[in-house]
Amino acid sequence: MSLFGQTVICGILLGGMYALIAIGMTLIMGVMKIINLAHGALVMVGMYITYVCYKSWGLDPYLGMLIAMPALFLIGCLIQKYMINRLVEVDSILPENQVLLTVGIMLVLTEVARLIFKSDYRSVTTGYSSSTFFVGDMSISVPMTVGFFIAMAFTYLLHLFLTRTDLGRSIRATAQDRNAAVYMGVNAPRVTVITFGIGSALAAAGGSLLLPLFYLWPDIGHLFTAKAFIITILGGMGSTMGAIFGGLTLGIAESLGATYISMGYKDVVGLVIFLFVLLFIPGGFKSLTKR
Amino acid sequence: MKRITGIFVAAVMIIGIMVVGGCGGGGAKPQEQAAKKETVKVGVILPLTGSEAMFGAMEKNSMEMAYEELKAAGKTTVGGKEIELKFEDDQSKQDAAKAAAEKLINQDKVAMLSGGYSSANTNVIAGTAQSKGIPFLIVTGSADEITKQGWQWIFRGTAAPASKYTGALWDLMDKVIKPKSVALIYENTDFGTSSAKGFRKVCQDKGINIVFDQAYEKGAIDFKPMLANMKKTNPDVVFAVSYVMDASLITKQMKELDFNTKLFIGGAAGYTMPEFKENAGDASEYVASTTLWIPNVAWKGAADYFKKYKEKYGKEPDYHGAQAYATMYIIADALGRAKDFTPEGIRQALKSTDLMTIMGPIKFEDWEGYTNQDKPTTYVVQWQKGKLEVVWPEEAASAKLVFPVPNWKERK
Amino acid sequence: MTAKGWLTPTVIAVVALVLPLILRDPYPQHILIMILIWATLGTAWNLLGGYAGQVSFGHAAFFGLGAYSAGLLFFHLKISTWWGLLLGPLVATAVAVPIGLICFRLRGPYFALATLALGEIFRLVFTNWVSFTRGAQGILILSTFPTKVPYYYIALAIWGLAMFTLNRLINSKLGYYFVSIREDQDAAESLGIPTTRYKMYALLPSAFLAGLTGAFYMNYIAFIDPHVVFSLGDISVMVILVVMMGGVANPWGAPVGAAIYIALNEIFRAWLGSANVLAFGILVCLVILFLPNGVMGELGQIRRTAFRQKPAAAGGGQK
Repeated sequence: MSLFGQTVICGILLGGMYALIAIGMTLIMGVMKIINLAHGALVMVGMYITYVCYKSWGLDPYLGMLIAMPALFLIGCLIQKYMINRLVEVDSILPENQVLLTVGIMLVLTEVARLIFKSDYRSVTTGYSSSTFFVGDMSISVPMTVGFFIAMAFTYLLHLFLTRTDLGRSIRATAQDRNAAVYMGVNAPRVTVITFGIGSALAAAGGSLLLPLFYLWPDIGHLFTAKAFIITILGGMGSTMGAIFGGLTLGIAESLGATYISMGYKDVVGLVIFLFVLLFIPGGFKSLTKR
Repeated sequence: MKRITGIFVAAVMIIGIMVVGGCGGGGAKPQEQAAKKETVKVGVILPLTGSEAMFGAMEKNSMEMAYEELKAAGKTTVGGKEIELKFEDDQSKQDAAKAAAEKLINQDKVAMLSGGYSSANTNVIAGTAQSKGIPFLIVTGSADEITKQGWQWIFRGTAAPASKYTGALWDLMDKVIKPKSVALIYENTDFGTSSAKGFRKVCQDKGINIVFDQAYEKGAIDFKPMLANMKKTNPDVVFAVSYVMDASLITKQMKELDFNTKLFIGGAAGYTMPEFKENAGDASEYVASTTLWIPNVAWKGAADYFKKYKEKYGKEPDYHGAQAYATMYIIADALGRAKDFTPEGIRQALKSTDLMTIMGPIKFEDWEGYTNQDKPTTYVVQWQKGKLEVVWPEEAASAKLVFPVPNWKERK
Repeated sequence: MTAKGWLTPTVIAVVALVLPLILRDPYPQHILIMILIWATLGTAWNLLGGYAGQVSFGHAAFFGLGAYSAGLLFFHLKISTWWGLLLGPLVATAVAVPIGLICFRLRGPYFALATLALGEIFRLVFTNWVSFTRGAQGILILSTFPTKVPYYYIALAIWGLAMFTLNRLINSKLGYYFVSIREDQDAAESLGIPTTRYKMYALLPSAFLAGLTGAFYMNYIAFIDPHVVFSLGDISVMVILVVMMGGVANPWGAPVGAAIYIALNEIFRAWLGSANVLAFGILVCLVILFLPNGVMGELGQIRRTAFRQKPAAAGGGQK
């Protein structure tokens, strides 16, 4: 029984942090309808900034995160404004151009990181990196728990932002129907720029929370991009609650898969659920709750 | 329109090819300027960029360091010619490895090839070398089958076949550990799968009960589900084949789970690197591992190599660097003895190698289905007080094996 | 076709046939063969993605199935991998049927993600099912031919087959259907076009050709493993990149894109050291920003609209 409990708890905690990374992507996908393959690379950049803060100034990652987030916000805005927005205006045969542009951006970000930091693995070991506390027989990692709660806090803040502020509502309007939003006076290009910025900042936050637990190298982005997609689809594009749900589902599914099937196939579990949702519940969790 | 299109396309393709071909030709010029003397070129293919670049850089640095030492000793001039190393990047990718091999053999006209870090890339390079009849001296690539094909042009000296890393370990297992149950986990790569296969077979032959046997995808964040599952089976001994970061996470998370075994043994690769200790912290204590080499191994020059590399590059090298360093010495030795620099001449010189290096004696022999494979000297090491000590074989030991290891809670 | 219409293909054909005899060095020959492999794979993708508008992010699945069909023939049955050239495409096509039936319910980004997931599932299964596929250890064979020239001609023939297939399909009624589905699937449905069926008609040849390329790859590179042939980043995404850079919905888009990708990649690799992938990434960004329809697509700025309204014939006729 405690094996099951252990598995589920690990899944929930990790899933919560994945969710924070995915929230950025679901926002971006909801508003701009583009598949952002560079999302993982943005997480990676955020993690490196936090890492540098730790190495140079001894800043704890939870504090370094507060520096990485604005930095990524800025980078995200710049990318959207000068690169992706250009493509939106252009007429092309296949709209998937934008996706390929994000691939190019991903390559550039990854390689620049590699040039600066080399392919070496970096990690941040803080005093609490390995602390655990026990609930009965189950071992719960302190950084995972802290990360989980911070992730939930950010999600809640985002939710407040989207529902209570004007800007947030503009973002949701643009996500629902871009043209209608423009008619209502929303400055769509500006909204997309800000959304991309916020999405990137949240990605940086999610990555930084993982830094005490995991390690860092330039290619880490790919891992996060894949998870973020799955969560975005599970939850429904553009839905923050959906992202939480998606993250938790993915985390638990992977954990259960690792324990009861095999660690090698754990990613297959996530992918199969992903396909299932894609095919049968295309709106994700969000569409289920709207009924 | 179609005509313009077509001609344009043809032009693009032809220009593209000419440029590539021409670039290769253009590449010849710097060589002419650099070498007034005639040279014997050795092509070395390593991952200088890409995910494996860390090791590629270490191996390149080690080879260059060895080259400098040999040059100072006058050993790089062989048969009136100067040995010249030509490094090519395989980008940690197979297709690039093949392109690099093709370029070195056909364009740069190297006399022999060396390098080869990942097993997959080594496979590709070996296939290319064998079909062209160019000698290839492998530095690191360990998949068993590379030297099990009966390919005469492929030599592997400093790298053991993956399943043979455990030579000294089994000796230790038989004499001291005598486990009744083992758990086996390994990464889903060529090296991991090969090593696990070898280990599993020996367990079966010896009648040791394997209570847990799982592969995992490398780069996972949370191993606890798998480890918790393993904990339930209560193995005497755990054998894990992992890359360094997975290794750190696995041992750390075992500590977090309070999962105790009599001994945790790594299958080389990740568990002996300095990064393992840095990242796993005190969870690394008492972790044992098989290995081909550590800095305080008894062979002459090993400790000097370690010190010199650390001074020069600011990082501690591990056995991959030692492999590259020793390989450079093997190359210089063989080329020095070669009766001529034709492929056959070099091949024969390599075949008759009998050299002492910082990794021990190197001889290329045919045994157990392997061709041109050195019989590896393996050790079992254990982290004790933050240092890697050789614990087996006893003749080479620098410290005594701690077995069974104390439980997590009992350690301070 | 007019006499003019025959001229360029003939010129290109002659040049292509004679090239290996002019460039006798195996290194450029290797580059040529890689270009042909990617041109074929790109053409296969282009049929489904560029013309029919179904952007697949999982074409590595078909490529890998083709490669493994060839490899496993050798591994399990000790039959020459050349028979894979027959088996591979058939396996890929057979698997494409259920994949299509499942995925064609989805549109746009959802379809892309579904194919991405499928490609990854294949990779993970082939990696973990060690008893059947040897897993990560891969399959290693010895090359059949000591020189590259026979490989070149085989690759050329395969590419020729791909171009021929593409040409036949897009110049037929099917071609019109594909483009109408791409442009507005709902309108096509409302006109009575059975879109799923026609999407399958685009998918099956696409999978066939991708599988054929994979089988050839096994024979040429002589080593495969799941990580390489089912790779998301190096195969699935790269083939999309290649065709988009060259120009989607244009028969020469894939070959041009392949030539750019392979030749430049190799130049960057050999000359730029650690910055080579960075240079490639920058190039991708630039091409997409400034030539959003790829090289072939932007060739005639005026023609861009014409390409969209006049499917198939690819700019033939007028001018």
